Amino acid sequence: MASEQERISHVFRRLGYGSQPDLIQSVDSAEDAIAAALDLSSAAIETPELDPPLDEDAIRDRSQTRIVLAHWLEQLVSSPRRIEERLVWFWHDHFATDLRKVKVPYLMYLQHLTVRRHATGSFADLLHAIAVDPAMLIYLDGTQNAADALNENFGREVMELFTLGRGNYTEDDVLAASRAFTGWIVLRAGGRAERFFDGEPWSARFVPFRHDSGSKTLLGTTGDLDATDAIDVLLEHESTAAHVGAKLFHELIGFWPDPATEQRIAAVFRRDYSVMALVEAIVDDSGFLSEEAIRARIRSPLEKAVGIVQAFGGGGRVAGGLESTLRTMSYIPFVPPSVAGFPEGPRLLDPHRMIHTFDFVALIPESIPELSTPDLMNRLGLYDISEQSRRVVDAAPPGGTRTALAINSPEYHVV
Amino acid sequence: MSDSPYPLSKCTSVTRRRFLAGLGATVAVASAGAYGISVWGRNPAGNGIPPVGSNATTTTTSATTTTIPGGTIPSSGNRTLVVIEMGGGNDGLNTVVPHGSARYFDLRGDLALQDPIDLDGEVGLHPALGFLAERYATGDVAIVDGIGYPDPDLSHFASMATWWSGHAAGSTATGWLGRYLDATVGTEDPLAGVAIGPGPTPALLGDTAFQTSVQDMTGLSPRIPAWVDSRDELVGMWQGFAPAQFDSDTTLDLVRRAISATARAQTTMNDLLGAPSVSSTGAPRGQQRGNLEQSIEVAAALVTSPAAPRVIYIHGWGDFDTHEGQQNRHGDMMEQLDTALRTLFAAIESAGVADRTLVVTTSEFGRRPAFNGSGTDHGTAASHFVVGTPVAGGRYGESPSLSSLDRRGNLSHTVDYRSLYASILADWLGAPADLVLGEEFEILPLFA
Repeated sequence: MASEQERISHVFRRLGYGSQPDLIQSVDSAEDAIAAALDLSSAAIETPELDPPLDEDAIRDRSQTRIVLAHWLEQLVSSPRRIEERLVWFWHDHFATDLRKVKVPYLMYLQHLTVRRHATGSFADLLHAIAVDPAMLIYLDGTQNAADALNENFGREVMELFTLGRGNYTEDDVLAASRAFTGWIVLRAGGRAERFFDGEPWSARFVPFRHDSGSKTLLGTTGDLDATDAIDVLLEHESTAAHVGAKLFHELIGFWPDPATEQRIAAVFRRDYSVMALVEAIVDDSGFLSEEAIRARIRSPLEKAVGIVQAFGGGGRVAGGLESTLRTMSYIPFVPPSVAGFPEGPRLLDPHRMIHTFDFVALIPESIPELSTPDLMNRLGLYDISEQSRRVVDAAPPGGTRTALAINSPEYHVV
Repeated sequence: MSDSPYPLSKCTSVTRRRFLAGLGATVAVASAGAYGISVWGRNPAGNGIPPVGSNATTTTTSATTTTIPGGTIPSSGNRTLVVIEMGGGNDGLNTVVPHGSARYFDLRGDLALQDPIDLDGEVGLHPALGFLAERYATGDVAIVDGIGYPDPDLSHFASMATWWSGHAAGSTATGWLGRYLDATVGTEDPLAGVAIGPGPTPALLGDTAFQTSVQDMTGLSPRIPAWVDSRDELVGMWQGFAPAQFDSDTTLDLVRRAISATARAQTTMNDLLGAPSVSSTGAPRGQQRGNLEQSIEVAAALVTSPAAPRVIYIHGWGDFDTHEGQQNRHGDMMEQLDTALRTLFAAIESAGVADRTLVVTTSEFGRRPAFNGSGTDHGTAASHFVVGTPVAGGRYGESPSLSSLDRRGNLSHTVDYRSLYASILADWLGAPADLVLGEEFEILPLFA
């Protein structure tokens, strides 16, 4: 049986990113911890406002990425709106979009704002916004998708990954969806389209003559469907709530729901696609605080990095150090390895990532305190440590060596 | 899917529930989408573990046994198979170009290659593939045309799962090369199967075989600041976390197994690559998208070492999902491939190991014959290369017809991808291919 401290730590690890001792001590029970983690009444740490880049040098300027990333990491480390940070990451992973293809940091910033705006709101609103989000239009080739030159990239992935899941649509549906999404472009600053349409630089724009206005049948609905109609059809389909709901269940609990549970949470989600209603349904499930769920997930490199900075402070080099360690782990915000998002689970236990988990010790200031094993583990939010792990950590010289071993201990690899 | 379509663990994972669910049961086969990816055997305890079928993307399971008894297959001697996976779906038609066909130029429009390197009047290679053309002329390159599989699925993830699995039953939880290693080396040699790229590959996933992954020439060396005492002893102390015996399948024990296996692989890998055991500078850059140049450098070092792995699997490389901007993007990839092969062959030839090294390319699918205005959408069949001095050079298989396309405008395959696997397993690795692949597939006479 997990101790109450471990259960409280579990709640904060799953519904947010933090499990520092002062946070654990601020509540008396796992149930209180859930209420605290889901509390959205505190003010958000605002993302700074960036100016749209207007010339080629500014467009490629990576400093905008660094600014957004630095703030995002600060939000992950410090935001009192814990569930919001968990969900911002979940949606970034779900709607994975890659700066290396988009190439315009400002557009990744705009998408990040969109994700943040809807993260705890309505999935329907988020999906509609993402379907015509400029970064997504570039990433999945929506800007190349026109009546006379169909491009299926977004039309396929929106069903396979973002909504229904595989097995719930046909190749004809891929074709119909792709036709419905035709006609969108991005008004690139200084580009011809921006001058022609006289629109806001970097906004998405619907261009009727590029749209296929013929009749199409998507998942049984026939008509001159456009992007809004197509998204509505996908939201109407019963697989969408089940697919997305099960994925969030897996994210928060660590295993997949059984069919009955999947149906139950999908029914809640489908009512109005309220993300927080879905979260509450998942957290209310008996699985969430079950022994089976505690420490059932592999801790991601981002969770490790954020946890270590929370535990030890990072001195003045947090953002740069974090980016470098996350790069070694191939786990960088805005740079997902594929449209399917970031790796998770046992896949993160490959020798390269296991060995380089030691590298995270560089995030800790040199003036690292010489803590006893229990103090060190508590600092990291770990309460129920195996005898074997305790002996290994105890045997190491206190300070850097002991800390390096603690952050690469079996217990720290799981959440 | 876009630029860098390597897998994907989102679709499933080995959860604690899955581990607990089926101890002692028969090894079952998961449907497409069940990528239970870990680095050692999928099933380290040696127990059969059926997947939990309730995950959102795994809709069906069937109970087909894929276990191969250990030691069934004789050893391949000191031969090494190097697989280069072209992630995203390589455009076979602009790699081995059917320039003798007017239909090719009709379908491809502006994307048609006007100046391929002619091989036989019928097909030519992409102009960037100069090294492959040279080697084709000297008889070291087999080109197998029309490779695909029945009822093609145009999803990257489903199609990759099919190619990784290589089993008659469709997608399995183990990979074809993992099953080959299970049957030859089991858990004995942590460096028998090495994935080079951003993590492990499902193709090397076996029931017991351990898969080592590495990214670049820094090997498996932690980068630890100089102010940490006892840096050199850290990995040794770290091994203490792993017990001598495992008696449970909890997530924590999964981590302990990873620690044990990683520590075991670390020393040998660093010796082979000449990497330091620990460093304080020179951060490995990580492979966000696999870097073929870095990967091939590692492959060359390993294959020319006294302890060459049996299988080296280069993956995560490639920007092959060319829905748009294909002309430049695909040209860059072809150039990288050609340069990498030139580098690898220079290394193996100067080390005198060319006769025991074989390279094969794979990709989840080819691309659609019709130009979409800026690139090509997901397709089906494609040509692939088998390269090495042991090869009987020439063309194999049959080019799919460009005039009778399927209803989505795609090619009909003429060679099952498992025929390619079977030919390599049987005639190069000396393994009973039917055991690894679940049934017999046609053997192509690829070897001299």
